[in-house]
Amino acid sequence: MKKLLFIYVILISTFLVYFTFYHFREVNTESWDQIDKGLQGEINEKYVMVTFLSGIDYWKNSFKGFEDAAQLLNVSVEYHGATQYDVHEVITVLEQVIAKKPAGIAITAMDPEALNVTINKAIEAGIPVVTFDAGAPKSNALSFLGTNNYNAGVTAAHKMADLLGNKGKVAVITLPHQLNHQQRYSGFRETLQKEYKDIEVVAMEDGKGDQIKSQMVTYELMKSYPDLSGIFVTEANGGIGVGNAIKELNQVSRVKIISFDTDKGTLDMVRDGVISATLAQGTWNMGYWSLQYLFHIQHNLGQPVLDWKEGDVPLLPVNVDTGISVVTKSNVDNYYAK
Amino acid sequence: MLEMNNLPIRYKLIIHFMIISILPSICLGILISWAVNNVISKQVNANTLQLIGNANKSLESYVSEIQNITYLISFNSDVKNFLYQGENQSTIDPNQMYDIQKFLQGFTTLHSEVAGILVLNSNNQYISNEMYARTSKKLTEEQWYKEAESSKGIFKLIGHTSGRNITTHYNYKDDEVISVVRAILDPDTQITKGVILIDLKLRVVAETLKDVRLGKSGFLMVIDNQGKSIYTPASPLVEGIQKQWFADQMSGDFSREIDGQSLEFIYRKSPFTDWTTVGVFSTDEAVSEVQEIRFYLISFIFLVSFLGVTASFYLAYSISRPILRLMHSMQTAESGDLTIRPMGIRLDEIGMLGRSFNAMLTQIVKLISLVEVKERQKKEAELRILHANIKPHFLYNTLDTIQWMARKNGAADVSEMVESLAKLFRIGLSNGQDAILLIDEVEHVISYLKIQQTRYKAKLNFDIQIDPAVTTEKLLLLKLILQPIVENAIYHGIKERRGPGHIQVSVTLEKEYVIIKIADDGLGMSKETLDSLNYQLSHTLNEIQQQSTTDDSDQEQIALRVNRMIGGYGIMNVHTRIVLSFGEGYGVSIDSQVGKGTIVTIIHPIIIDEEGAGRNGNTLETINRG
Repeated sequence: MKKLLFIYVILISTFLVYFTFYHFREVNTESWDQIDKGLQGEINEKYVMVTFLSGIDYWKNSFKGFEDAAQLLNVSVEYHGATQYDVHEVITVLEQVIAKKPAGIAITAMDPEALNVTINKAIEAGIPVVTFDAGAPKSNALSFLGTNNYNAGVTAAHKMADLLGNKGKVAVITLPHQLNHQQRYSGFRETLQKEYKDIEVVAMEDGKGDQIKSQMVTYELMKSYPDLSGIFVTEANGGIGVGNAIKELNQVSRVKIISFDTDKGTLDMVRDGVISATLAQGTWNMGYWSLQYLFHIQHNLGQPVLDWKEGDVPLLPVNVDTGISVVTKSNVDNYYAK
Repeated sequence: MLEMNNLPIRYKLIIHFMIISILPSICLGILISWAVNNVISKQVNANTLQLIGNANKSLESYVSEIQNITYLISFNSDVKNFLYQGENQSTIDPNQMYDIQKFLQGFTTLHSEVAGILVLNSNNQYISNEMYARTSKKLTEEQWYKEAESSKGIFKLIGHTSGRNITTHYNYKDDEVISVVRAILDPDTQITKGVILIDLKLRVVAETLKDVRLGKSGFLMVIDNQGKSIYTPASPLVEGIQKQWFADQMSGDFSREIDGQSLEFIYRKSPFTDWTTVGVFSTDEAVSEVQEIRFYLISFIFLVSFLGVTASFYLAYSISRPILRLMHSMQTAESGDLTIRPMGIRLDEIGMLGRSFNAMLTQIVKLISLVEVKERQKKEAELRILHANIKPHFLYNTLDTIQWMARKNGAADVSEMVESLAKLFRIGLSNGQDAILLIDEVEHVISYLKIQQTRYKAKLNFDIQIDPAVTTEKLLLLKLILQPIVENAIYHGIKERRGPGHIQVSVTLEKEYVIIKIADDGLGMSKETLDSLNYQLSHTLNEIQQQSTTDDSDQEQIALRVNRMIGGYGIMNVHTRIVLSFGEGYGVSIDSQVGKGTIVTIIHPIIIDEEGAGRNGNTLETINRG
């Protein structure tokens, strides 16, 4: 029986040797995959950016930031939006996006109130939502990344005063139903009222965010106030329309225009001197950090809280000012693509 | 082979059982692992090829979508006007430009994967929402424009462009986009009126390709027909991959080693995009499933070996142990102990072998006891004769006294007769010896005949003829074998006959036999009597044997029977003694004819007395002393 025992021992030890070898080998193959990963998501993790007037150039820079962050984190992104300036369409699009259960939604709130219900619905469904560019403060959105629009208005007011020599009549062409534009307007108006008594805001018009519409509004304004010496346009398309109108009216040297954003048309007009100054927003940063924030929430990387959906303790900075800078003829070249 | 034959049977059995149980399972294991390897690698390749095919399909759908956009753009009447205005107008009408930009914006609204659209006419005027020339250098002299021109209105994928004089306002770099161009031709003159350039974001291609995971660490990459990379993931292995490997065929697969890593390559070319999608994954990983199956197989083989070894040992011992036990029993029996009885109750062949061995032992014991019985019977017979001789012993002493008295009184004839009688008894007793000298035996019969002659006077004549050779040798003869026959000859032959009769006794040597013939010319026997007598002679021995085997214990019966033979049938007695002493082939035979006489022939072996004592004398002597 000793021989049998001996054979058993040999058999079992051979098997154990083989087993360890096999196991070691398995571990070895796994290690190949671990190279160079860092903070990485899954490619089937889909983050969605939702905008309104989705075709306009303004969003493209934000979305570029969104895409750049996605590439870095190895996740997928999608871009959706209402093609029209229509809050109902935005809600529809947002509902559709929620139905697909994405990993996160970055939305720009076209209306500070109207989207609250839908945003809260997404949060309840477990989808992290951040707002960018235009916020919805009363919703449960986790963070807002965007320009401090009131400050932007203040900056515009100071620049306008500087351009006009602290006196004259100015008009504002804006989107009066949109919170960010309201804030820009009030920052602009209140600063002028407080600090530059000789500058009078004579009109506030709705440019509908459209080039042609704004151009038409400008013609009307110039007719109503022939002595108008400054126009502040709170968004880019309108800025180009205003520029075109002033150019057509041959009032370029007399009427100073302050526009918003740095799309190609605006920059060209700054370079040509039609638009005196434009305010550059950190749009790329909005997109980039929106995705980073969403990714952090999705992967529970923020401040440790029990349930981010409750919203009692913020995981992430709630309000992020992406900054503003004034673009004039002297520094416009820096804003063209390289 | 010889050495194999010399191995103990249990080792042979163990080796055979192991070979039978383990070898096939090992062969089976190898076969299965080989087959699984083949099947799985085939399946992996087929699956990968299918994944690549699907990836190609999505790429094709993106590209064909872009192609459709170029057509839709060229159908637009504003765009057509812009393209055809060519040399006629040096500037672009702002309203027309606005309309076209709005129109183009529609496409980017719907297709977020489009990074930019640029429409360029042959007059180096362009309209775009996103793109513009970096310098004033003519765009119509750019490489992409010429490629579009040479494709003659056919959609053309350029892949990554580099160093072109176009920039995207949103900073999409050259390696982040794939450029697609299509020239718009005048249908009549086939002159290029302009080119539509669309930049497709590489991101969507990357997302499609990244979504396809080949095993744990495999990836997909796309190269164009020039061998330039469209999309390659950030993997350290990409460096070593050479594009010309995929140049030859539409699809295929091969293995290469890169940085010490064995990699599998599977590729398929899309005829529409003219791009080749390549799947790269580690060979080790491809076989990891095989490894797993192989692991289970080897575990199974170990289990089989384990069970096989156990079963082999058990079987071998279960067969060899009873054989060994039987062998030990046989050895014990061989050394003399016949009482050993191996095995209990086994029903297999070894049990049968044991039972046969047992039966054989029983038979041997029985035969030994039979021999003992025969020996005892012989002794019994001797003893009977001795007993019969005790009376003559006393008589002999008395007769001696009478002879002595007769001679003293001068009665010579009485003295002579008494002397003969005395000699008869003396020789008949012969110290109880089994065998006596032939000469003594002859003298004994002469004494007897003399006595009978005295009685029958002239009616009985006799002569004795002895081979001279017989007298020189000291031949031994079984005692008292002549007298009963001579007695028979006198009483049944001579006495019954008319007139004087003659008895002749002759002793001769023939080969190794002593032949003694007692012939008389008496009445003789009828054929029936002779036959029955001869039959009895040839069957006496069998009768005794049968009785002894069938009924060992009944010694008395046999003694009686033998006794009766002595009293009634002298010849039988003589014959039986000779046969019992020397075996078949010796004994008494009778020949007779009615009216002519009878010849009784005794065949006796030649036994030469060397010690001066009779054969078997010792045993009989002890009894005789009493």
